[in-house]
Amino acid sequence: MISARAKESVERILRKAVQTRLPISSESDCVISAMATDTPVRHTHVVVLTISSMAFRLLLVLHFSESDAMRAYYLGERTDRALQEVFLEVSNLCCGAINQALQADFPDLGMSTPYVLDARCVPHLSELDPDYLASFEIRIGESVDLIATVCVCADAPIDFVADVDSAEESSGELELF
Amino acid sequence: MEIHFIIAATSSAVTALIAWALHRWHRASTASRQGIATQAGETALNQAQARYDAMSSAHAQQVQALESQLVELREDLLNRTELADRIRQELDDATRKHAAWEQQASRIINEAVRLKGLAATFERWHEQMTSLMTQNQDMHEKNQELSSIVRHVVIVSLNASIEAARAGTAGRGFAVVASEVRALAARSEELSRSYRDSLHRNDLTTTATFQDIQAGGKMIAASLSSVEALAYQFHNTLH
Repeated sequence: MISARAKESVERILRKAVQTRLPISSESDCVISAMATDTPVRHTHVVVLTISSMAFRLLLVLHFSESDAMRAYYLGERTDRALQEVFLEVSNLCCGAINQALQADFPDLGMSTPYVLDARCVPHLSELDPDYLASFEIRIGESVDLIATVCVCADAPIDFVADVDSAEESSGELELF
Repeated sequence: MEIHFIIAATSSAVTALIAWALHRWHRASTASRQGIATQAGETALNQAQARYDAMSSAHAQQVQALESQLVELREDLLNRTELADRIRQELDDATRKHAAWEQQASRIINEAVRLKGLAATFERWHEQMTSLMTQNQDMHEKNQELSSIVRHVVIVSLNASIEAARAGTAGRGFAVVASEVRALAARSEELSRSYRDSLHRNDLTTTATFQDIQAGGKMIAASLSSVEALAYQFHNTLH
């Protein structure tokens, strides 16, 4: 139900959103590489966000662990905030960027607030009967290791070509939660 | 005397003759002058008559032209009156339609504003997800506790098996019981693992479903805002 070029477009949008929103500074190297979706779970938690339209729903699942490396990268010297809280905001921005990019082709979209689940939920994504499921390994700097899984369930044929390069780069949708 | 008489008579005759001649001349002159004057008068009269006839004819033509113009103007007035009536009627219809459209636009705005309240319903459903997830979390914890107990039972059953083996023949019966307990613990462990798996699946489907509801609600609210904005635009153009 999702054409090959639509899948490729979703992947490009995801890569761009991850590249521009997950690193806290543009100086951090961000390397993204595709990985098998059935790879055993190696993180403890995931942040789940949903973008809904009349024709499909897209789930963005960002895998993370509350490691020292994560804390050092996202919190730095700050002690007044929890890692999970900060990472929820970052994840929200990342999903907001995807939402914004998709709006060029799908004007009627809505985005959920993020929710944290146990990473062992991820293998059950197949229960949602996805039409497109892909995972990407993300390395930010030398120590931050994340995984992004995108899951698209379509109710109608989806075919579009995203123009990621000309998309707005200024900011993602900032949702309060 | 006679001569004087003759002379006098002759003189009188001549005088009379002259007087008669003068009279004749005067009469002829007067008659001539009168004839000339009469002729001139007739000519002038004829000319005046001709002018009068011409003017009269022109006047009659003018009157005819004016009368036909008047008829045309009356027809034109009638047509224009009918047209004005029709335009007035159309204007009245347009005014009524305009008022009806304005009313419709106001209704659409009010309806869009009212339906935006649906967002609160979607949010309520989403809040129920938190409640469900809390219950799931509670079940996770209970399952965790159960799993911990089962692991402990496995250890106890292993110890019992060791003790039974030490007891030798006397401990055979106890060994069988310990083995059964271990088997039951293994099954409980498997069940607990499966239950944990089900809870994770439940977490994911619950979250996905309620997030879809929440995001769908935002999508509908955004669409209603667009409808509201368009209705406002339409309403403003009617003013």
